[in-house]
Amino acid sequence: MVSSFCWSCLTRLRQTPRTVLPSPTAVPRGPAFHTSAVRFFPNPMMRKKPGQELGGPKYRQSKSARMKKKKPVDGKARPPPVGERKALRKRIVLSNPNALEVEGMQELTEETMVDSRLRGNVLALPVPMLDQLRAVQAFKPKQGWSIFRRPGTVLRRETLEMGRLFDNISGVGEDKGTAVKKIITGSRKSGKSVHLLQAMAMAFTKKWVVFTVPEAQDLVSATTGYGPLSDENPNLYVQNEATASLLSRTLIANKTILSKLQVSRIHPALSAVQPGMTLENLAKFGVQDPASSWAVFQALWAELTATSATTGLEKNFTPRPPILVTVDGLAHWMRNSEYRTTEFEPIHAHDLVFVRHFLSLLKPGKDESTLPNGGALLYATSTSNNPSIYSFEVALKQVAARHAGVDPSAPEFPKLDPYSNPDSRVLEAFISTKPTSAQEGMLEVQTIGGVSRDEARGFMEYFARSGLLRETVNDEWVGEKWTLAGGGVIGELERLGRRLRVAAA
Amino acid sequence: MPPRLNLFAARTAVPVLRQPSAPSASQRCIASALRRNAAQGTKSGFQSSVGVRVQRRWNSSASDGKTPEEAQRQAESMPHVSEEAAEINKIMHKEGNGTRSSPELEQGTPVSEILQRDEEARKHAPKVFQDQMKNGSSGSGSRFFSTSARRGQLEQQSTGRSEDQASAALVESMISQVTQQAVDLTPGLKFDAPGTLSRSDNFRKRYEPLLEQFTKLLMRDGKLAMAQKNMSIILDHLRSSPPPSINYKRSLLPGPPPPQLPLNPVLYLTLIIDSVAPLIKLRNQKGIVGGGASVQVPAPLPERTRRRTAIRWIIDASDKRRDSKFAQRVAAELVAVAEGRSGVWEKKEHAHKLAVAGRVNVGFKQRTAKFFM
Repeated sequence: MVSSFCWSCLTRLRQTPRTVLPSPTAVPRGPAFHTSAVRFFPNPMMRKKPGQELGGPKYRQSKSARMKKKKPVDGKARPPPVGERKALRKRIVLSNPNALEVEGMQELTEETMVDSRLRGNVLALPVPMLDQLRAVQAFKPKQGWSIFRRPGTVLRRETLEMGRLFDNISGVGEDKGTAVKKIITGSRKSGKSVHLLQAMAMAFTKKWVVFTVPEAQDLVSATTGYGPLSDENPNLYVQNEATASLLSRTLIANKTILSKLQVSRIHPALSAVQPGMTLENLAKFGVQDPASSWAVFQALWAELTATSATTGLEKNFTPRPPILVTVDGLAHWMRNSEYRTTEFEPIHAHDLVFVRHFLSLLKPGKDESTLPNGGALLYATSTSNNPSIYSFEVALKQVAARHAGVDPSAPEFPKLDPYSNPDSRVLEAFISTKPTSAQEGMLEVQTIGGVSRDEARGFMEYFARSGLLRETVNDEWVGEKWTLAGGGVIGELERLGRRLRVAAA
Repeated sequence: MPPRLNLFAARTAVPVLRQPSAPSASQRCIASALRRNAAQGTKSGFQSSVGVRVQRRWNSSASDGKTPEEAQRQAESMPHVSEEAAEINKIMHKEGNGTRSSPELEQGTPVSEILQRDEEARKHAPKVFQDQMKNGSSGSGSRFFSTSARRGQLEQQSTGRSEDQASAALVESMISQVTQQAVDLTPGLKFDAPGTLSRSDNFRKRYEPLLEQFTKLLMRDGKLAMAQKNMSIILDHLRSSPPPSINYKRSLLPGPPPPQLPLNPVLYLTLIIDSVAPLIKLRNQKGIVGGGASVQVPAPLPERTRRRTAIRWIIDASDKRRDSKFAQRVAAELVAVAEGRSGVWEKKEHAHKLAVAGRVNVGFKQRTAKFFM
């Protein structure tokens, strides 16, 4: 604190007799011999206000600069309601009213799905079918449906091949009623799940019955109830809620077909089921009473795979349609589940009857085809959420080799590394001999890669015509994006299409 | 690297060869002329490229009574008409006697003015000037000759006289020869080598500058990938939310009509940010009024800082929202700004109001005089 005396006046004052010194309270504010403005210091005798402190920190108070802390905004104390965040995460939006309507966009129909002239075009999914596809959970949240006016998929080479296959199975030719079994693999974002979606859409177009397992992981992650199947089979486990939801999905999606089919067999396990009732009502039993859902599912499966009625019930029998079964994320079924036995031992996924049923379909039937009325089994692997299972990888290689005709005893047949602790049950699940029935195809592995440049161009034009892409779509530009997308990986192309253009610097 | 040949310089070199001082040299070789010029350059101590010094004279001033050095000097350079006159003046009046030449000679005069007042000059003026004077069509607004020196030279060469054509052909053949040599030196170039890049061509930005700035400001704990994910959620929200209804009191900056905005989310975002960005800030400045008090002086903000301020305001305002996800909160706040509902507008208006009030302090100067006790 600066004194109002200057040094010279203090030295001068020292000479004066002590009595002459004025008391500190009587010191005039600012000496008269200064030319600078009088500065107003607080009167030391005045009592300070409690909050107001001048003249630096108090005794033992910190002297460093104190910074004000920003108070966190209040209101974070209450988290959002339960389930809101998950609902937001799982929300599927299929339409963006701001996007432009693509003129001349064709829908997926029986004619267009086999028309090779339309290859590379984006076909819209028919609006009435969207409810069915939603019911079987064909759409995934991050597939980018939400920025277009209406959902559509590219008609790529694999799609056209599948369309022809489905057409033959439903048709009247010699391929009628064949069963196709495929495991679909491919790199990340290559369109495996959308391929399954296209299969479902085609199956709905052809009036097949569709069973789907949209997330294989949900059955083994110990999030649904489970229990031993029966006293006779204490090592097999049934998941009633999961089965009920499968029945519910199937029921909603295939209502029109199931309501026209009738029970034509005797089901001793289900006393309430009478011959002559529709399959729709049969499925409803399982949905309403989850305790009986597994028995209902078995009855429904038996009815749909029947080729003829039991004696005496012929009047209730109409020919059954082909069946499409899709499973997404197959690798999760190839290891121990999160469920535990009463001894707290892990339960292998193959000990769950639900999983066991769908895996058993991959093996050829004993006397007749596993799908006697025809149909397709499409089991896709996942790469974004994928456990690494060595036995499964080898099993897939073996399936491919077997389908190519390599003898299992030949040296080039893929072998297991004996030190890698292989899971023999996984390998067994995929060992399929040559089917006895001519109507049944051998299990094969289909690898989905990138789309061709022409298909990429069609896809990019779809973006441009929807008003989402402001670029001149020519071969050069598409070629650049095709290369950037790892050789036409369609998920990467989709990302590039929705990425916003950078202004010229 | 192929030898670089300056065609422009080579062409400009041509008229030198037609100087009366060295008529035969022009017929023989251009290289000797160039060598001669180079030698002269070193002699005069004026080092520059040949193309700069060897220029054609366009004026038609008489060269009567020229000394050899003067002719050479004129051949070397093409001074402005009045510069030349000044130079002559200097020489004639034995420079250094202290008398300055006229301002006209010092600063230069338009040729037209000289022609206007000088009968002799008009008689000897170039043909183009004479034609123009004859036509008197100066009011038409368009000249039939070009004022661009470079283009004029090219035209002159193409429409030159036979003497011109001969030397042009000579140079053409030499150019083609050198070009052929350059091509031979760089095999493997099927087409022309690409042109030089402009200065900023190597600055390749992946994202729009505003997007990048916004993303970095969204970043928490250094997690850029998370911020980018949030940014894409925000852009998708802008893309799919209904077009903003315009509040006429607080409307966005002029741009496309609102129904078109969602299809161009980057533009939409830019308009939102720029509309609420403050133009000025208040700077606390001490020492203006004395007594240690500080006054608030408004100061303009650069564009990036303006945007930064607006983005900070928007993110801060979004903290008070109830949506469960951060990106959703920010996106909803952005739409609120676009529709004029957000409190960010008030912040901007407040900042501008204070700045207007602080305008009185702008004129003050910092006091330099200090008093010490």
